[in-house]
Amino acid sequence: MAKKKSQSAYTEKKLPLKKRIYRDRYLLCMMVPVVIFFAVFCYFPMTGLIMAFNKYRIGSGIKGVYTSPFVGMQWFNQFFRSVYFFRLVRNTFLLQFWSLIIGFPIPILFAVAVTQIRRKPIQKTVQVATYLPYFISTVVVCGMINNFLSPSGGIVNQMLNRFGIESINFMNLPEWFRRIYVISGSWQSFGFNSIIFVAAIMGISPDLYEAMRVDGANRRQIIWHLVLPSIRPTIILLLIMTLGSMMSVGFEKVYLLYNTAVYETADVIQTYVYRQGIGTSPPNYSFATAVGLFNSVINFAIVFVANRISRKVTDTAIW
Amino acid sequence: MKKRIVAMLLASSMVVASLAGCGGGAAPAPAQTPAADTQTETPAQENKTEKVDADIEQAEATAEESGYVYEGTAPITQEAGKTIKILAETSNYTNVDIKNAEIVKKVVADSGVAVDWDLVDYNNYQDSVTPRLSTGQANADIVLLPDQDTNQTYIKSGLFQPLNQYFGSMPNFTKWLQDNPVMKAELTAEDGNIYYVPGTNVGKDYQPCLMYNVVWLEKAGMSAPKTLDEFVELLKYFKENDMNDNGDKNDEIPMSIMKDFLPYMFGPAFGLDLVSGFQADANGNVTYAYADSENYRKYLEFLNGLYKDGLLEQEFTSLDRDKVIERISNDLTGVAYDFSWAMSMMYSNVLPYYDGTADKAFVGAAPLSGEHEGFYVGRVELGNMFAISQGASDPELCAKFLDYAMSDACQELYQWGIEGESYQINADGTREFTEKGKDNDWLQQFGINPSFVFPAQQSVASTDVLVADWHAKSNAELRQYVVDPWPFIYATDAESDTINTYMTDIQTKVDESSAAFITGTRPLTEFDAYIGELDSLNLPAVTDIRKQQYERYLKALNG
Repeated sequence: MAKKKSQSAYTEKKLPLKKRIYRDRYLLCMMVPVVIFFAVFCYFPMTGLIMAFNKYRIGSGIKGVYTSPFVGMQWFNQFFRSVYFFRLVRNTFLLQFWSLIIGFPIPILFAVAVTQIRRKPIQKTVQVATYLPYFISTVVVCGMINNFLSPSGGIVNQMLNRFGIESINFMNLPEWFRRIYVISGSWQSFGFNSIIFVAAIMGISPDLYEAMRVDGANRRQIIWHLVLPSIRPTIILLLIMTLGSMMSVGFEKVYLLYNTAVYETADVIQTYVYRQGIGTSPPNYSFATAVGLFNSVINFAIVFVANRISRKVTDTAIW
Repeated sequence: MKKRIVAMLLASSMVVASLAGCGGGAAPAPAQTPAADTQTETPAQENKTEKVDADIEQAEATAEESGYVYEGTAPITQEAGKTIKILAETSNYTNVDIKNAEIVKKVVADSGVAVDWDLVDYNNYQDSVTPRLSTGQANADIVLLPDQDTNQTYIKSGLFQPLNQYFGSMPNFTKWLQDNPVMKAELTAEDGNIYYVPGTNVGKDYQPCLMYNVVWLEKAGMSAPKTLDEFVELLKYFKENDMNDNGDKNDEIPMSIMKDFLPYMFGPAFGLDLVSGFQADANGNVTYAYADSENYRKYLEFLNGLYKDGLLEQEFTSLDRDKVIERISNDLTGVAYDFSWAMSMMYSNVLPYYDGTADKAFVGAAPLSGEHEGFYVGRVELGNMFAISQGASDPELCAKFLDYAMSDACQELYQWGIEGESYQINADGTREFTEKGKDNDWLQQFGINPSFVFPAQQSVASTDVLVADWHAKSNAELRQYVVDPWPFIYATDAESDTINTYMTDIQTKVDESSAAFITGTRPLTEFDAYIGELDSLNLPAVTDIRKQQYERYLKALNG
């Protein structure tokens, strides 16, 4: 087999480029739309990052993106010098960090648990019931959170009152914001996020289960020594992908849940940029671009480092 | 009850019909204003109206090829087949097709030109049109601006044409400018030209005000409080007594005030215009109300006291209008603060015992006074702005169209509709809406007050007829308390840069600190530190700019 491979590689090299293109012309044609898609929607827009270094003139169109006056690092400096810079970075990071710590393992555990259910109808029902919240829009979820946690009439406070505990104004206390954000986020997405793990577990060969059972392994041992190791590459892949958005908190949910009383823990980079860059009149697209670029660079660095660590520690990596 | 609330919400639009844009949403944030060009700062380039005055004086109407001269009345042209493309917004009522509303169709038909409407959803207008204008392509002859362009951004981008050159074709507009020197000064850009034809809001009528449940007041044996002390006494009475006679003394919520209205309600009693943020005294000294080390501190102390006593509810930062309406409909609250139109159209109407009279309603009252005499803050009169784009195929015709659209004849149409259809003239010469006209749905679909597509002017007279009699009377009484807000002032580029750089952080600090001081999560002993923090956020630089702008405004106004 190895011999065959090296032989074909040799012939490949021998063929001139033109002939190779002609030979693979249909395959190349199939690739054209994909290349065009990425060129138009991903790579070309990236040239717009130059806006982060100029002062975009409203009304100057696409041309203005490239021809507006160069201001160097002005927008970055403005952002870095803001008294709120560290608070924003901290809040953004911590919201995602806790979402990861709490939200990442739950779908894995749930997937393992749900695949252990032997009765298929029950398994399917549980799965559907848990991934349905994912399809509720953020606005509705935030409305539900506000209603449930209201100090006057909210179900949570009513329960607390029954136990003799005074109402807590959850939505106005900075110390509660992260917990509410993380727990509600995990509740909403754990069912849906578990689908990919369920699929990975389903992909494990039944022979392996049988072999372990023949060897006398109990359910715990099967999970620990077969299921989890089998889905490890999937876990790592998703973990690295998730790390790639460590600094990208979902704007809508924070925006819908926060208020001035909880800025201390709730104000994140995206909401600040909205107020400073987009919400102003006229909008400061250059500032928004600069902060977006800053975010992307940090995200890329985290992914890069995580990938390197993963490669060294587990021998699994995205690239 | 739900149905009733929905019905009342719809009914409220009758007033909004006449005062559209009067602030249906939350209260405006304290003035975070202007901006535009560095070169403007020499006295010769200051925002004066000499050029406009001279251009108006020299303006002459020109005749069409056919010899027809437009003199301010329909039609604007006798040439057939002319079309104007207008970029504007849809009605804020989803069941209204504004371009096919009778009033709008009549204005267009009378003008003698066809209109190709490009209407963008009312709720997304700013979000959709701002990026579109940023591209430099308006793709329309006439454009409704997504904002008031206080930074002169669009003016300087060259997207729109100065109107001075068309003054000869704009007799209604030039007359209006001469009759309204304040707005003329406000509209004059730093290059001495005027670029926009505005719609107008009423500045002193039907403004946000304090409203009391009159039935509760009577039960308490009190009249509407005039001072803060009297007010606190009233709130305590409401809290401690079974005002709604349901046998439960604990379900009364003394007052239901949305967070954004607290500055409107209590700021004046402490001598503060927290609505505008920046304020000028009689000597022209400009200060930032939220940095007033004496009065703002007292304001916060007062609100903190209310919060501690349970008179200002825990949920005040998240209270919204729907909740207020729900409480009123269940007779749970005695005091509200909102835009005036809510008084009879949204709050009183949902009261279980409202009988159409002021005796069983939520009725407006004088502002509260403290160490300072109370007042209400009015609105800037300039409303929606319409401009002629640089790429307009026939800008002169567009100028004529805008001019005709703001003529008195059209304003009558906007405010009253069509005689015999939406209104009738009584024997004594007064007008009143017909039975059909009193049906809000019908009136909206008829196209009343089409400020979304034309430079319409709000009318007190037609609003008086629309609201309950007692409401109109209340408005007339409250007008005396309304003071002018911080004026509309164009800013220079340098000013804009500075303000945009610093003001968001200042606003963030103010917002979070006020909530923290009121709820007590930050002790008032740290108030001096707060003032220091504002200074470190470059508040003095912003205040200096506001001062320069205000001086410029006064110069432009007084010559």
